[in-house]
Amino acid sequence: MSRMTLPLALAAVVLLGATSRAEETYTPGAPVRGDFENFAQGFLDKHCLECHDDVSTKGDLNLLDLGPVDETNAALWKSLWAQVALQEMPPKKQEQPDVIERLRFSDWIVSELQRVMEDKGGFTAHLDPNKGNFIDHDLLFGPLPDGIKLVPTSSPTRIWRVTPQEHITRLNELINIEPAFDPEKPGLRTRGDVVPTNHGGELKLYFGTDRILRWEGGTVAYATAVKSIPVVLSSARKTGFENYPDFYTVNSAEATQILDLAENILRYMAYGPLSIVGMPEQITDDPKTYDKVKPPGDLRGLPTAIVYSTKVARELTPVYELMKEGSEFTDQGLRDAVNYLFEALTFRPPSTKESDDYVILVKDSVAKVGKEDGVFMGLSAIFLDRDALFRPELAETGKADEHGRIMLQDWELGLAVNHALRYLKPDEALHQAITEGRMRTPEDVEREVTRMLADDSIRKPRILRFFRDYFDYDLGGYICKDNAALGKTGAPAGTAHYSAMFDATASTDRLIELILEEDKDVLKQLLTTQQVVATPRDSTYFGRRLTKEESEAAMAAKKKADQAATQQEQAELETGKSKLAALEAQAKAAPEDKQIKKALDQQKKAVEAMKNKIKAAARTRRDNANVNVAGAKLTGPAIYARVSRRSFGAGSMKPERILATAPEGQRLGILTHPSWLVSQSDAMDNHAIHRGIWIRTRLLGGGIPDVPITVNAQLPDEPQNSLRERMRVTREKYCWTCHEKMDPLGLPFEMYNHAGLFRTTELDEPVDASGEIIDSGDPELDGPVGNALEMIQKLSESERVEQVFVRHAFRFWMGRNETLNDAPVLQAAHKAYRDNGGSMNALITSLVTSDAFLYRREEDKK
Amino acid sequence: MISRRKSLQTLASGIGAAFGSALFPEISRAASASSGGPKRVIFFMQNQGFEPATCIPAGMVNSGSLAKAVLPEPIAALEPFKEKLHIISGLHGIHTSPSHSAFFGALGGYRGSDGVAPSGPTIDYELSKVLPETLLPHLCIGMDSMENMKAKPTVANLSARGAGSPIFMHSNPNHLYQMLYGGISSGEIRSHHEACSGMLDRIEQMASAEGKALPVADRERYGEFVQGFNDMNDLRERLNGASDHLRKFAPEVDDRYNNPEFETDWHDTLLDLGVSALKSGITSVLTIGSGRGEIFGSWKGLGVTEQGHNLGHMVQENNPIWIKIRQYNSRMLVKLMEELESVPEGSGTMMDNTLIVYTSNNADKQHTNGANWPVMLLGNCNGAFKTGCFTQLDGTRPINALYASILKTAGVEVDRFNMSEQMAAKYDSGSGPLKEILV
Repeated sequence: MSRMTLPLALAAVVLLGATSRAEETYTPGAPVRGDFENFAQGFLDKHCLECHDDVSTKGDLNLLDLGPVDETNAALWKSLWAQVALQEMPPKKQEQPDVIERLRFSDWIVSELQRVMEDKGGFTAHLDPNKGNFIDHDLLFGPLPDGIKLVPTSSPTRIWRVTPQEHITRLNELINIEPAFDPEKPGLRTRGDVVPTNHGGELKLYFGTDRILRWEGGTVAYATAVKSIPVVLSSARKTGFENYPDFYTVNSAEATQILDLAENILRYMAYGPLSIVGMPEQITDDPKTYDKVKPPGDLRGLPTAIVYSTKVARELTPVYELMKEGSEFTDQGLRDAVNYLFEALTFRPPSTKESDDYVILVKDSVAKVGKEDGVFMGLSAIFLDRDALFRPELAETGKADEHGRIMLQDWELGLAVNHALRYLKPDEALHQAITEGRMRTPEDVEREVTRMLADDSIRKPRILRFFRDYFDYDLGGYICKDNAALGKTGAPAGTAHYSAMFDATASTDRLIELILEEDKDVLKQLLTTQQVVATPRDSTYFGRRLTKEESEAAMAAKKKADQAATQQEQAELETGKSKLAALEAQAKAAPEDKQIKKALDQQKKAVEAMKNKIKAAARTRRDNANVNVAGAKLTGPAIYARVSRRSFGAGSMKPERILATAPEGQRLGILTHPSWLVSQSDAMDNHAIHRGIWIRTRLLGGGIPDVPITVNAQLPDEPQNSLRERMRVTREKYCWTCHEKMDPLGLPFEMYNHAGLFRTTELDEPVDASGEIIDSGDPELDGPVGNALEMIQKLSESERVEQVFVRHAFRFWMGRNETLNDAPVLQAAHKAYRDNGGSMNALITSLVTSDAFLYRREEDKK
Repeated sequence: MISRRKSLQTLASGIGAAFGSALFPEISRAASASSGGPKRVIFFMQNQGFEPATCIPAGMVNSGSLAKAVLPEPIAALEPFKEKLHIISGLHGIHTSPSHSAFFGALGGYRGSDGVAPSGPTIDYELSKVLPETLLPHLCIGMDSMENMKAKPTVANLSARGAGSPIFMHSNPNHLYQMLYGGISSGEIRSHHEACSGMLDRIEQMASAEGKALPVADRERYGEFVQGFNDMNDLRERLNGASDHLRKFAPEVDDRYNNPEFETDWHDTLLDLGVSALKSGITSVLTIGSGRGEIFGSWKGLGVTEQGHNLGHMVQENNPIWIKIRQYNSRMLVKLMEELESVPEGSGTMMDNTLIVYTSNNADKQHTNGANWPVMLLGNCNGAFKTGCFTQLDGTRPINALYASILKTAGVEVDRFNMSEQMAAKYDSGSGPLKEILV
């Protein structure tokens, strides 16, 4: 179809139609009426075809024959949606659609894509958190144009699959006891904190570690010998918000594994370490008694290498009572076990019917295979109960208000509030409030949230999870580094680097917690703090990479010092040897002289000791010599980070840290810490594009359209050139339209190398860390910046940045993207944050007492 | 609702892909009777490294035919199968960090280490998705010390269906037997199987009832959860329905299952079960982890009294201990080939359509940088693979290239497997399959 063949009369009708609709009231979320011909064609004609038709095919894009949304052009329509929603198109210099026209066109595309793709994999891009910024920031926080009518907000009824972390925590509660909160050492990991990943970053459930007294072999042997099971539920997302309710289900492979895992856990609950040892003698408070009977040979890495205490560490449960030797199999005993497990796994007591169902199921199994196997098999089913894997927010009770919304109440509301902060089941106070009918109003929620936020002993890992998801600083240990490229950074190579990165994540966790304790200007503090939580190794990571000249000088100085030390050591050794030779001669002359013999023996030992000392000193000089880095002088009070000792025996991560101050003029806030910088890097270098996208989306609230499928997103492999130079390919016209919004925001971080060390040169030339903020939406922010510190300082003072932070907090706690109807909730949350001096607690309280958190409506899920 | 094929793939990645719905084995085999490329693939991963001198014939430095060569003592059992054998030296896995084992990285071609979760799918899982459909597309078995196999009958170190999604290996032959042949067994195994079926039925009913009240948008997602149980139950029925067929292949449960003298008794029974799963058409990909991908392991049944980590510290060449272990592996390979040769398929036998990949999760030795990763391939898959030869590569192509090659023979055109162009610029001198191994 040629543009010239369009019937003019039809075009006139279309334009008339579009005009008349623009004058109607626009209600976000309301269906958009119209099909391609009588709605979309008018928008395209008016705003797109000027540049994208047969005559002027800008960007090689011709929309003349686009036609209605269908399977084949869906990708193109999706791009159009992004361009229009993000106000990238029409170009600024062209006539702009009015706000409502743009919103309506954007909604129409989404609804058409949903309709057309329904049986072809669906269309859910608009629900993805990475598309949350597609809603215009100014409409959410500024005045609304006439003609937009908001409706009271709510969230869809839904079920949330629990996250891998939550799932492991629930299971861990069944078999392990965790340390109680110690107010004297508030940073130490305690019950209610997340079950941490192990030394290699893997999430596992460990059995019996609270009773291990002794093991054989080193750290790897321990890790192999201890019974552990990797996390079963999967989580496909590596960056950003990992857990919107509609992300995941539980597939049959996972369900099968859960069944097997359940039986292991149940046996441990019933029999303790006896269920995992090779020999009963391994359970003793005096390991020597086991030594007398243990199997001969090398036991390292075997279950028989471990000795367990006889002392029961955790409270015995009805599962133990049901299965203990000589116990009678009673209905009540069985019901107690069912009810106990149900509540431990779903966080609520079972209904009578639920309890009955599982009791019958267990009895059936027992009838078929006997008590021993039947009980474990039957009880395993509870681990697969819907509510053990999904948390429902179905609002099945309660009455709809005049807007068709139903407020969550009782257990659903109680568990939603609990889940907003915690991974453990509701504490006694919340449990009581739920059962006594005191979880039904916003005031009830505020009371419970305020109580929990005020009590540090009630651990709140979900808040930390938000900051991990928001900042993405926890990926450094998972970024596979090229050894040679890593070596050039000055950071330790190999496993030591990955361990340092997992330590760095834990350190940043703790720093965030310290800022949250103050609860003042939280975002600004996070962006600009000079404090660092550090391990000894951080002297390197927070250090400065020396220039080539400095490294050469350091190398020469080291060589000189080593030579001097070696000479002295050799001289001492020679003296010792001379003494030895003299004594040997004396001993030869007087073989019966006991004193000489004794002196000879002593001197032999002394010479041997001297040789070993020389070897050790040489090793120390080699290992400790880092002629490439000026280590940061980090000093300060001792504190702790929440890492686990359980995963790797003596080699587990160490919680000891110091709270230090970063070197002046080199760091500013956690975006300049190695944990964040390495998380935004790749095998060989920094990732300026990812860093730029992060600043654009998470601080400025901008959106980046998906990379067009025609783009081969590769930088040239030119080791002789800097990253900035290699990124010249993104400055080509076709790419720059998008890249100008990210690259200049990421390049200021070039003042650090890809292990996070501060540097002044790159490839022996002065490093260029300049950048620019453009199109931020806040003219005060726009303009060039000299380096990351300057840029971060600017951003940290912006109200817009604060609002974008609030938008992300909204997404995390609501589990969905904001809509225009959420504008009042966002504004109230931001106001609460501001009015309370930048208080995260106030922000959270405002969000979880909002309509978006409290109300549900089925038809909201569109 | 998820598709039938999708559900199969999901199931494949389960704990040995416990249950699933699928086509009948015969149907699947008949449907896939085309020429070239494997219909099934076996990965045999011996831990602690595979020293090249233990497989390359003495004096053989350059690539060439094996026809006149004499295989070294550790793999001498493969002498009669030389025309099916391709010994490859000179692949590398430097990027997988294989010292002490690359764990998932060995079959994934990415960095792995102790305690590091998989960062992507492994080749065995990827193949299970594209090879002709079977009841359980992927089965993993792991052989270890008796203590470890009893205390931890399932572990996951080698195979993965994606980032953070490990696939479990079976190490207790009794459990595996019950999973595969519970429906055709009798006595205790049978009653356990039936009780489990009953429980799964009930769970499915309860889950299904809980799903009815869900919002429309959540029903599909939850439906996949319920469908999982449906698939489990469905397969049990199908296995029961195919009992006459399966009965022909199920191994006999003997004393080695319940009263093993040595760990090797269980290793043998696990292999028997793996063989039966292949022959009966239950599975198309079998992954065998001898040493379960870790740095320990035990072979007392071979007269090897040393066990565990120290085995890896020994030089393997001319070492009586390692000769015994490698000979044991070789006998297992022979058994796999002979058993598969005994089953007609198309105009030949099952072995004609089978590829066996024998290597180590530790490259060439325990403390290695992975600069050389020796591999033996067995089977030419109707002429798809070159065989009867030794190939010495120059150490510039990664194991990923081998995996991409196998994928190509299975009909998947990929230039690389689990390797970005950026990584390839550093670690791969070429692109696409290894021309040295494909016809």
